[in-house]
Amino acid sequence: MTRRALVIQLARLGDLVQTIPAITALKESHADWDVDLLCPAPLADIGQLLPGISAVVKWDGAAWHRRAISAEAQIRSEHIAEADAELRATMEDRYDCAFVLNQHPRSILAGALLARENLGAITGGPLDQRLSPWALYIRSVSTAKQSPRIHLADAFCGMCGMSPPKQIMPIRVPETALPTDLDPIGQSEGPWVGVLVGAGDRERLVPVAAWERMITECLEILPASRIVLVGDQHEQERAQCIQGSLPPFFLGRVWDSTGRLSLIQLAGLLARCQIVIGADTGPLHLAAAVGTRVIGWYFARARVHDTGPYGPHHWVWQAERGEMERMHAVKPSRWPITETIALLRGHYDTTVADWSLWESYRDHWGAYYVEAGREPVEPIQREQVWRQLQPSSVS
Amino acid sequence: MEYLNHNLERLGHSDPALVAAIKDSRGGILTMTSSREGTPSATHGGQWIHSAYDPRKEAGSWAEQQVGEWKTGELGVVLGVGLLYHVEALVLIKPSESRLAVVVPDVSVLKDALGARPLESWINTIQWITGTPNVMAEQLALQSAPLRFFTYGPAARLHAEEHQRLEASLRRIVVGKAGGQLHVAVVGPIYGGSLPIARYVVRALSELGHRVTWIDHSVHHGSYEVFGSFREERYRLTVQSRFADVLSFSTIAKIAEDPPDLVLAIAQAPLTLAVLQHLRKKRFTTAMWFVENYRHLTYWRQLAGGYDHWFVIQQAECIEALKRAGAAQVHYLPMAADAAVHHPVTLTTNEQQEYGADVSFVGAGYDNRRRLLPRWLSKEWTFKLWGNEWDGAGDLSSVLQRNGARIDTDACVKVFNGTAVNLNLHSSSGTGLDAHPDFVNPRTFELAACGAFQLVDERTLLPELFSPDEMVCFRSPDDVPSLIRTWLTDSDGRRAHAEAARRRVLREHTYRHRMQDLLAAVGMQQPDRIGSILRGERSAAELRQRTDSATELGPLLSRFPSDQRVELKDLAADIRARAPGRELSREELLVLMLDSYRAETRDLL
Repeated sequence: MTRRALVIQLARLGDLVQTIPAITALKESHADWDVDLLCPAPLADIGQLLPGISAVVKWDGAAWHRRAISAEAQIRSEHIAEADAELRATMEDRYDCAFVLNQHPRSILAGALLARENLGAITGGPLDQRLSPWALYIRSVSTAKQSPRIHLADAFCGMCGMSPPKQIMPIRVPETALPTDLDPIGQSEGPWVGVLVGAGDRERLVPVAAWERMITECLEILPASRIVLVGDQHEQERAQCIQGSLPPFFLGRVWDSTGRLSLIQLAGLLARCQIVIGADTGPLHLAAAVGTRVIGWYFARARVHDTGPYGPHHWVWQAERGEMERMHAVKPSRWPITETIALLRGHYDTTVADWSLWESYRDHWGAYYVEAGREPVEPIQREQVWRQLQPSSVS
Repeated sequence: MEYLNHNLERLGHSDPALVAAIKDSRGGILTMTSSREGTPSATHGGQWIHSAYDPRKEAGSWAEQQVGEWKTGELGVVLGVGLLYHVEALVLIKPSESRLAVVVPDVSVLKDALGARPLESWINTIQWITGTPNVMAEQLALQSAPLRFFTYGPAARLHAEEHQRLEASLRRIVVGKAGGQLHVAVVGPIYGGSLPIARYVVRALSELGHRVTWIDHSVHHGSYEVFGSFREERYRLTVQSRFADVLSFSTIAKIAEDPPDLVLAIAQAPLTLAVLQHLRKKRFTTAMWFVENYRHLTYWRQLAGGYDHWFVIQQAECIEALKRAGAAQVHYLPMAADAAVHHPVTLTTNEQQEYGADVSFVGAGYDNRRRLLPRWLSKEWTFKLWGNEWDGAGDLSSVLQRNGARIDTDACVKVFNGTAVNLNLHSSSGTGLDAHPDFVNPRTFELAACGAFQLVDERTLLPELFSPDEMVCFRSPDDVPSLIRTWLTDSDGRRAHAEAARRRVLREHTYRHRMQDLLAAVGMQQPDRIGSILRGERSAAELRQRTDSATELGPLLSRFPSDQRVELKDLAADIRARAPGRELSREELLVLMLDSYRAETRDLL
């Protein structure tokens, strides 16, 4: 019997893209199900691209926010009635089942409102606060900083009661025109290197000077290379700073797309690059999802084993924690610039102080990272975790 | 004349009494002149009431700035008449279902406005409020809708005094009607003269039935002193400044744990501008009662824009200075007394011997006191000097008690009660009486509350607080010996003044009165938030009355006692408490969802 299922992912761009394996796994197991996606309204265009999704239900957080401010001043029946009407306008009937992939109260409440049965982050009712085994696992590895571990995207599969899918297909980005001056990107010899100049969190910002050096060395050492600066409108100033400091003869090889693209255009642009480098995990995940290789610089609180780009053949430089940084965000004092350019040339040098280099692989337990230079033997701990948390996946 | 007749005819349809009053008035208050753009503009006393270039455009911009705060259902009240361009602009963009009133302290100005240009039918939609400030306040108080004030500064300036009196009068009426319970977080200083005031404020608010969170930073005084012991000034200042930052942050944490409706800081409270800005971003209402002389302590300059409401103990210049520094709302709120602390006591014989005297002074050894007090010693009367910081005042050593140790409040009360003539000399860094004798110090109110007789140096703000039958003032240091001589021999006169002063304090000048005034002022500025709570509109009974019983909210509200204040967070807490073992209704889930967004909005850390 066809079931109507709703995958609820109300977090940010990176988490949304990492939901792809869970959706793929659901469709592999239940080809006859209609699987819809509930995601933040601003990310709906990307949600629509996720393979296996029938329809996207937009969650208008801004409207809820406004309503909450008004209700805080004085609660009125209209607040409840409006919210109810808005939900009913987006769907006629409740779903048979919701897969709630975040522990945030609003995701859990959304699940309770929109579906008859809920699976995922919690067990029991919406206020029971009892985390499911997979949610507990995510919390424990995040707290204990264990390694290696199940990738977050695969843990999402576990939350849905699924094993990681056999195969991950890249997102197919629809033909979307870029602004005319950006249209030549990816259309000629390269490599075309996307550089994510900003980051969602301030503590994950790579200094402008480090990007200047990396771009300069890249353009010097790889004569055919082209750089595409990527970021949102808040990052335009950083992009301008970077360009302003480059030698004039490099400027024809640098393309600035910051603050000018819709999310769909961004996905299209990332697909035109041969490689994308940066510390902003949202666009990194999106780049990986559209099939572009990624080199991540992971520091602050970002850790490769939790949120490394999903799929094989990606690289992540991981800043190592010093004794003083056990409880805090890691702040690197130097950046793996020369070593990243070596990767672009097909070599790797792991001797850089305070950083380690990891390469991604994928097997039937999902994605995992292996330190560069070591054999990609699948870590046995992952199998044990799957056995423990989801015995059915091992049978 | 043509415009006037035309406009009066139009206005006559809705308000014939006003038309008659306008006809009887003289007009001619405003000086008419033409703007560059050609429309009429006006000046008064050489100052422009409307733009010299384009009055209509300027009025439109002003109205755009005001209208954002105006909630549907509120009655907009415009202060400032001018040529009514700004009123017309507000009418054009006001929320539907909201009405507009204009305060007209002098109908002559309105006559000028009606004679200046043709006005359309919108003038019949306006509620014109005329009369004395008290009468206008009563008219406004009769309105069923919450009031939202809009001040058009250039025109309001003509009647600033009337507007102030109207506001004060309205505040008194609001206070009389207030029935709701607020949650107020009172943030006190680490130490100093404002610390006891903070405690009086806490008690007053609690006695008024509000819920108070007392954020007492005096518990950190020891550490602050230790950090002040560094010999190097830059070390001392750096460490103390960082410590104040920590306390500021700890205040935020305390507020985050139990979010109040109002954060009320008392002078010297360790709240930094950054923290105040963060609180504003998170939609907390903040107020500061600056119980200091603004001329001596000037840190208000850095914090002026940080607080939503300032309350000060000085008027005109102080209020203007704060506004120039960026304060949005500044109100005069004089000092007061806590009658539970300062009250008449009967001294034992031993106590009378220890604390009693013909003449006493209690206070710290400021320069002017060191200079003046020796001139008031005499063999004709006994004199006792109490308080600290008198080192080196050799000519006062014979009267200095306890070797200049600080005395506690109980001892002060005994001194006040045991003394025939208490001297109250406001401090000053000069050598004589205060060169700017405006504010009235707490000691004035405390002595009065004790039923103690006092001679106080004359203050410009004293007459509106105490009458000559209640308080005896001196204008010159030379007057004091003869006044002492006179009053020492007139015990009946002393008692009559002291008892009258005490009655006045109990009637008008306790901290309860001040807190009622303060909350009413904040409530008038925020009719939809603090004002609404004060009016009791958040009680379960009121909410139930406004809620159709058939709607979703009715059953949830019915669980609360009628007089209990109920907000979104309370509904959510009730649902959570009853959640175990049952399935939540759709309405309950929606309330919880709304509350999760509310909590995020208010998440401070």
